[in-house]
Amino acid sequence: MNASMITIRDLQFSWPVSEFNLRIPSLEIASRTSVAVTGPSGSGKTTLLDIIAGILPAGDGSVTVGNTELARLSESHRRAFRLQKIGLVFQSFELIEYLSVLDNILLPARISPAVPLSAELRDRARSLLTQVGLERHAARSVTRLSQGERQRVAICRALLTEPSLLLADEPTGNLDPESTLLIVEILLCQVREYGATLLMVSHDHSLLPHFDSAIDFGRLNSTWFVAAGGCGAA
Amino acid sequence: MLRNALFLAQRSLAWYRGRSITIVLCLAITLWVPMTVRMIVREFEEEIQQRAWSTPLIIGTRGSRIDLVLHGLYFQSVPPSALTMAETSYVRDSGFAAAIPLHLRFRTQTVQRAPAAPIVGSTLEYFEFRGLTIAEGHPLTRLGDCVLGARFAQQSGLRPGDRLLSAPQNAFNLAGDYPLNMRVSGVLNASWSPDDDAVFADIRTTWVIEGIGHGHQALSAESDDQLLEADGGGPLRANASVLPYTEITDENEASFHFHGNEADYPVTEVIAVPHDRQSQTLLLGRYVSLKRPGAICVKPQSVVSELLAMIFRIEELFRVAAVLSALVTALFLALVIFLSVRLRAPEMRIMKRIGCARGTAALLVGTEVFILLGVAVCLSLPAASVTRILARDWLRQFLF
Repeated sequence: MNASMITIRDLQFSWPVSEFNLRIPSLEIASRTSVAVTGPSGSGKTTLLDIIAGILPAGDGSVTVGNTELARLSESHRRAFRLQKIGLVFQSFELIEYLSVLDNILLPARISPAVPLSAELRDRARSLLTQVGLERHAARSVTRLSQGERQRVAICRALLTEPSLLLADEPTGNLDPESTLLIVEILLCQVREYGATLLMVSHDHSLLPHFDSAIDFGRLNSTWFVAAGGCGAA
Repeated sequence: MLRNALFLAQRSLAWYRGRSITIVLCLAITLWVPMTVRMIVREFEEEIQQRAWSTPLIIGTRGSRIDLVLHGLYFQSVPPSALTMAETSYVRDSGFAAAIPLHLRFRTQTVQRAPAAPIVGSTLEYFEFRGLTIAEGHPLTRLGDCVLGARFAQQSGLRPGDRLLSAPQNAFNLAGDYPLNMRVSGVLNASWSPDDDAVFADIRTTWVIEGIGHGHQALSAESDDQLLEADGGGPLRANASVLPYTEITDENEASFHFHGNEADYPVTEVIAVPHDRQSQTLLLGRYVSLKRPGAICVKPQSVVSELLAMIFRIEELFRVAAVLSALVTALFLALVIFLSVRLRAPEMRIMKRIGCARGTAALLVGTEVFILLGVAVCLSLPAASVTRILARDWLRQFLF
């Protein structure tokens, strides 16, 4: 069994002035696996991803990504950790409309001195574009791309820093079936070929077979251990 | 990091071109207005003071010092009652200063676009004193000649060789003074002073206008009876049928003459140009000690400073206006920053989610605001300078 990429113990999170309450007694996700996260709307899927990414504080409990306990990090350190170690892909792409395709991919380097904007990084960005078939669009404005193309650009941005953890929040929610399969394939390729860990939220149950395992938030009420090839309650 | 911030800010501003241009123009105008007002006020002060600084002393009849200075420097206000040429001689003979008499009671008639201009009667020393030079034609050489200020010449369209009428002092006095039809002998170069709007003549010419000097038909015992009073065997006396000349020509110039003693002829003011500071003090002292009971001697510099001090109690209002203007500018800038942050909220949210530090986010917004402000300043500074140059003409027209 691979070492755990994500370990959660006694997580309790709630929004102020809200009845929402996320409770995860125990969750482990092994590295180099792909895990789909499903469940009804409002069950906390996005919240879980945000906590793992360090966008939201862990609240009560422990959340460890790799060897880093997020609760020990300040908000600014969580941001830095997220930018360098985690790749994020969003349903609404979250691209900057006044930047070109290539500049959007290089955005992490523009906003953090920890990611130097070197010639090697520019080469990697172009290489990623080639992998997703958009090498001819490097100088184009992202507003002129299709939805599927924009999501591919967003994935390239997420992969720029070679993160070991990919968090994708409904990346195919706005895409047609053909683009959906393409996007999922690109993400899964990162797991297979580059040893990343992928945690992807999706309402599309037809995609589940593509993943090593799945977490159903509708049933998440005990300890879950997710490993390559399967998952189950501990 | 700053380089990246500049890159992102530049791209953002270029993308939202309309918004950026609008903000820059608003900022530029907000900065330009107080800058221009301040420059114009300074220019106004300098213009007023420059004339006063260049005129050491003015001597006139007892009365309002301000009226005296305004009259002598800017040819404004009601002419004070007259001194005499004896005052000019007194100053010269004192050995303390050169004396330049001014006789300033008359104006020209309106010509085309040019309003009536003051006729400044003086000597050739006045031109040297004020640094006035001839642009066209030649200086005053003959009785009845006049030289035009640059702006008056431009507005009236008059050139050397043309004729210019003085205006009657009292239009209702049909038996009174006659306008003099002066000959334009020259046009002065622009001096950017009240001299540009004036007409200059020899002081004797203005005495002719006043009626002290005149020319008329030559009379003899053989002259037309209708021109003579009944001859009682005594000296010939002309009656009102004799026409005094209103125009001095080559033919009749010799007939012009003055009656009485020149020392008694009127001057409205005397400009005294002391030889040195000590002479100035001594000359001033003579007038202060009432050795010249009918006259006063003032330093235009002091009078204008007092006048400006009075006027610029209004400067307090200017200061209040400037403070308010600065406050408005600051508030506007704050609004620009606030709007910039709000408009970029989705973009900042993206960057936050990716992992951008707070300081970096602030740097991005700050860089954009800095660029907007920088461009606005780069626009407003030259605009204020250009306005100042263009306003200089308007200000001079307004003042003088």
